[in-house]
Amino acid sequence: MFRSVESVLGILIIIGAGAVVYDVLAGSRGLDLGYFQANWLRYARAVQVNLLATSIAFVVGMGIGFLVGWARSTRTQPIRKILSDFHQAKVQGTARGRSALAVTIAVAGVRHYLRRIADGYVEAIRGTPLFVQIIFAYAVATTFYPRLAGVEFFAGVVALTINTGAYQGETFRAGLQTVHTGQVEAARALGLSRWGAMRHVVLPQALRLVVPPLTNEYIGLFKASALLYFISVFEITFLSKQEAYQGHPFESFAMITGIFLLITVTIARVVQYFEARFRIPGLGIEPARD
Amino acid sequence: MIRTEDIHKHFGALHVLRGITLEVTRGDVLVIIGPSGSGKSTFLRCINLLVRPDEGRVFIDGVQVNRADIRPEWVRQQVGMVFQSFNLFTHLTALENVALGPIRVKKAPRDEAETKARQLLARVGLAAKEQSYPAELSGGQQQRVAIARALAMDPKAMLFDEPTSALDPEYIREVLDVMANLAHEGMTMIVVTHEMGFASSVASRIVFMDGGIILEEGRPLDIFEHPKNERTRAFVSKILR
Ligand SMILES: Nc1ncnc2c1ncn2[C@@H]1O[C@H](COP(=O)(O)OP(=O)(O)OP(=O)(O)O)[C@@H](O)[C@H]1O
Ligand SMILES: [Mg+2]
Repeated sequence: MFRSVESVLGILIIIGAGAVVYDVLAGSRGLDLGYFQANWLRYARAVQVNLLATSIAFVVGMGIGFLVGWARSTRTQPIRKILSDFHQAKVQGTARGRSALAVTIAVAGVRHYLRRIADGYVEAIRGTPLFVQIIFAYAVATTFYPRLAGVEFFAGVVALTINTGAYQGETFRAGLQTVHTGQVEAARALGLSRWGAMRHVVLPQALRLVVPPLTNEYIGLFKASALLYFISVFEITFLSKQEAYQGHPFESFAMITGIFLLITVTIARVVQYFEARFRIPGLGIEPARD
Repeated sequence: MIRTEDIHKHFGALHVLRGITLEVTRGDVLVIIGPSGSGKSTFLRCINLLVRPDEGRVFIDGVQVNRADIRPEWVRQQVGMVFQSFNLFTHLTALENVALGPIRVKKAPRDEAETKARQLLARVGLAAKEQSYPAELSGGQQQRVAIARALAMDPKAMLFDEPTSALDPEYIREVLDVMANLAHEGMTMIVVTHEMGFASSVASRIVFMDGGIILEEGRPLDIFEHPKNERTRAFVSKILR
């Protein structure tokens, strides 16, 4: 009860501050209300480009992120250990053939290098600006496919995908590692296979744990999609800059701000609602309380 | 029923098990005691192959099970295990925890598995808690669900690794009672525990482990009242106090 009163108060303060800013910037000139009515559809169309780019990148990036996170969360056996195990087994007469040993070593080797590649990918992407990645992707795409229609959108989506893949990889790694090893042990003690334990015990928990950070990632990526303006994707920032230079700076600023807020706040609220609805006691972070 | 021959296990440079030979006949309750780090947990894990012994042989019902041609998953279905830290599946209710093994491992029909899970929960005194998640249960209740979960696989024997040592004192009794009932119904059990009351009333035999070997073995009365080995005596007097 108290809390909702306080929320209303908070919103009033923000609106008040907004009014002051408005007064300083546009007070003498006034906002052109007719402009909103005449143009909102154009903005809505433009933001669809942002939503489309974000959603494609997010979904493909989730596939990449899951694999990367998985690769980074598994432990690999050193070759020395495999050889000594084999030697032990041979002494006991329980060893399988040499070809089985070769397969084991090959698999361990491949896994080891896949993991190293995943490490390098995450480091490289998280350690460099997204902006640079976008420009780089655009440069590469225009060099090789200068005449491709929509090459800028394509390059932008690729850059966002590669970027979010690395960040989601970290999220999935953390989620998978948060599930306690005791859970896997209990599952295996029941007779579940490695994959069965993953599928029925680890994944259901890890996937619940990654919903909040992945929601943040989607919202962050959506905001970052404004950067595609620099490689001339006709998205909402592009439109708003154009409009601003054509004599409607405040109106276009108000429009783009309102649209971004509306979308990000809605997504966050909807996810929060479902999270609370389907929350399992003892799993994940408890919701904020006062 | 369960027999081990000269089990050895190394962890890196650590020689944790240094030749454990044991036999547990059907319906026996074997209690293992010993100081921390003596290899008790490792030994239990060698029996259901959660840890693979480096040397030696493990037999269940006369079949050597630590062989390349026997799937460890099959072995683990034959012997249930209960852990010190319960390890109930956090995302599942008590009922789902118990039914998971039969459904996913034995491919039992869901309603059949759930009916059986209900019976098992009733048997450990938790019929009213089937819809609760682990976080909503006390430690004692969680451990009883864990016992029911292991029993759901119809194991031939049960392994308990310090099942009460993570519990607040007021919850220890209820778990030990469930275990004692199980023993009276004829379940073959190997129990690592320092609950001397339980050991002397339920155990058919007690084994004292230290430094990866069995130092002494005998009936509860012999071990507690007349230990032959000096180290057994010191250990027993410490835990009996
Ligand atoms: N997976 C492992 N990797 C490396 N070392 C291990 C591993 N498991 C156990 N050890 C080591 O082996 C030794 C015996 O451990 P174990 O858990 O079997 O002892 P325990 O008798 O059960 O002790 P406690 O009473 O503390 O449970 C310890 O020194 C432990 O650190
Ligand atoms: Mg132990």
